[in-house]
Amino acid sequence: MPTEPLQPFAPPTALLSYLPSGFSSGTAVTWLLYAVFAFWALYTLIAIYHWLKYSHASWVAIPAIGVHLFISIALMSYALSGYAFSLTPYLP
Amino acid sequence: MKEFELEPGEHVVMEARKHWFLFLAELLPFAILAVLPFALPKLLMLASPLAPYAGLFDYHTTLARAGLGVWLLISWTLAWSTFTRYFLNVWVLTNQRIVDIKQRGYFSRSVSSLFLSRVQDVTTNVVGVLPSLLNIGDIKVQTAAEDIEFIMHGIPRPEQMRDIILRYVSTKPAQ
Repeated sequence: MPTEPLQPFAPPTALLSYLPSGFSSGTAVTWLLYAVFAFWALYTLIAIYHWLKYSHASWVAIPAIGVHLFISIALMSYALSGYAFSLTPYLP
Repeated sequence: MKEFELEPGEHVVMEARKHWFLFLAELLPFAILAVLPFALPKLLMLASPLAPYAGLFDYHTTLARAGLGVWLLISWTLAWSTFTRYFLNVWVLTNQRIVDIKQRGYFSRSVSSLFLSRVQDVTTNVVGVLPSLLNIGDIKVQTAAEDIEFIMHGIPRPEQMRDIILRYVSTKPAQ
């Protein structure tokens, strides 16, 4: 049973202070975002390949890919700049 | 069809996928993931000792906004991937055979055919309150060889599909 009050933990931004000199926090976040987006691009390419090859020429394939690309690009734009095209009113 | 060639005189009768309700149920975890960053600050405010931490979720800061964007991007991509798997898993009934296409993952796919002339028995199974209300069930198709059977889980209107299969089975002479 703890007898001391809970100590507040530091926000994640404090981790950025451990970065090596000459490597700014902005650069770290930017490269982290690039890594996530590169993984997303690879994953999406594989998914699109499956849609186009295995969807039996269904009319659903192109709208499904289109919706995915639009929402994903809007979210990436939001992460980078705060602007998410027509999704902007629904995000903080 | 790219995965299997239709024989001369063969045509597709119908395609069947899982019931939409089961698909929505699979999407639920991703919906919860997407809502979590918005709900968490409000939930923290309800518990007074944790209320100061609600300030960490201020999405007007660059870092928090980037984090939220990436979180939503991952949630959305996983949900879309679920839809992709839902759509690519399909039973195709032709006038000569049943083709079972299973897409377990992006690099795990199997396509198997069962000729209707070999079908011995078709069984439907609807268990539970919700499946009974929504008419969701399983279909098991067995051949004379005991070790071969096709099972499809959670398809809509299983009795109707069984009747269609049996209608085409009855028109095929045994090989």
